[in-house]
Amino acid sequence: MEFFLEQFANWKFYLIGAYPSGPLTGLTLNIVFALISITIGLFFGIIFGLGRVSCRRYIKYPCSIFIDVVRSTPLLMIIFWSYFFLPVLGAQLSLFWCAAISLSVYAAAYQAEIVRAGFLAVPFGQMDAALSTGMSRFQALIYVILPQAFRVMLPSFVSFFNSMFKNTSTVYIIGVVELTRTGIIISQLKPNRIFAAYMCMAIGFWVVCYTLSYASQILEKKLGVIDYETYKPEICRQDLVLFPLPKVVKNMLVSNKCK
Amino acid sequence: MKFLNLRYDFDWGIPFREPFLGWLITGVELTLLIAAVTAVLSLIIGTGLAIARVSRFKFLNIPARIYVEIVRNIPGLFWLLFFYFVFPEILPFGLGDKLHAYSKYSVVAGILGLTVDNSAYVSDIVRTGLLSVPRGRIEAAVSTGLNRLQQLRHIILPEAFRTILPPLGSRMIHNFKNSSLCMAIAAPELTWATQQVESITFRGLEVTIFATIFYIALSLIMAALLIRLEKHLNIDLTSIKGQQT
Repeated sequence: MEFFLEQFANWKFYLIGAYPSGPLTGLTLNIVFALISITIGLFFGIIFGLGRVSCRRYIKYPCSIFIDVVRSTPLLMIIFWSYFFLPVLGAQLSLFWCAAISLSVYAAAYQAEIVRAGFLAVPFGQMDAALSTGMSRFQALIYVILPQAFRVMLPSFVSFFNSMFKNTSTVYIIGVVELTRTGIIISQLKPNRIFAAYMCMAIGFWVVCYTLSYASQILEKKLGVIDYETYKPEICRQDLVLFPLPKVVKNMLVSNKCK
Repeated sequence: MKFLNLRYDFDWGIPFREPFLGWLITGVELTLLIAAVTAVLSLIIGTGLAIARVSRFKFLNIPARIYVEIVRNIPGLFWLLFFYFVFPEILPFGLGDKLHAYSKYSVVAGILGLTVDNSAYVSDIVRTGLLSVPRGRIEAAVSTGLNRLQQLRHIILPEAFRTILPPLGSRMIHNFKNSSLCMAIAAPELTWATQQVESITFRGLEVTIFATIFYIALSLIMAALLIRLEKHLNIDLTSIKGQQT
């Protein structure tokens, strides 16, 4: 028991590391990563998500390919890509930005799907009505469609932020000292305190994630968006195989009766 | 590739040189093995948890809810590290030393960790499915004289699984991608193999390209098979409905 108390007395190291005099590490770095990636990811997610529902093929296909490729690659692979490939292109990046970029790419693809689902959840009559009042398509998008879509998207954004926060633990692999790495460092320095160190790590993650998931539950109740999970796949499934495959292959993959 | 002015000379022979090719092949095998075993195990455990969560007995209900709340709010990576580093330490009777001596413990720890992580999500999905079965079906099952177990086996579970197939399938694809996290505990799967090649030859890019293509291709194939299965089941469902009316 005194092991735990000793570790809890160390709470500042788990939370911010040696921040004012040294680099920012620990749980705060996880939150910073999650915030950065979700902000950049939202910006690009809106672009790619709207690009995917565009009717122009030269916009639709690149966006779809980006989303599908990133979504079917493990986050670890994306991190290694940015860690090993960006220097090859000539970019000199610090570890922090390397991790932030890979998390943002990952977040962008997933948020693009959320944006698309939210966009498609707005009835098409809204667009027609907006156009008939004399708005341009862009104005209709900004003033009519997106505000309604965001209302639908908000709960899933919060739960995505939750999962993104958990995903930030992955960047410890390239040596970013966030909460996971902090726990590992402590457990390596004091091998007999390993259980206590891991428990502190788990408690740190749990508290933040539980708060977030509680918030998303409240939001879902308030906004009255129910069963988001169940209707989203139905929209996305029809064109899940989005690569411009030859027709023969497509027929093999998707049976004829359901087109 | 000359026009990009890359600071890297591609040597496409590297993935086919001898020790590396062997690592990559075992890596692919192990990735598939881990993904398949965790998928099956977490489906079993997750279904059990979901049934416990919707049951009215408190001694089943509350522990299952606590388990799910704990596991869902902690990253999957933590569970992998926990089972690899901490779990042998807290085992009594010197069992931990035996586990440390076992050369493939990293794979076992990876499977355990991923199963713990995935089963919580699966139980959430299955629970939605169980709750989505209409009340009338269960009442009809009761009135035909089925007991609780038979209702579950013949009426509720088949319908529930049919509704939750899309989210369940995408969760399993996610689990397949998560199996790359096992490299953190040095389980020799595909991502670990690419990193090993990188650290020995400093030419990881070719192997990383191969591994990425493997992951993308397999995920897309699984997604396509899933669509096919869904359509197949949908057709079945409509035909059954047609016979009834």
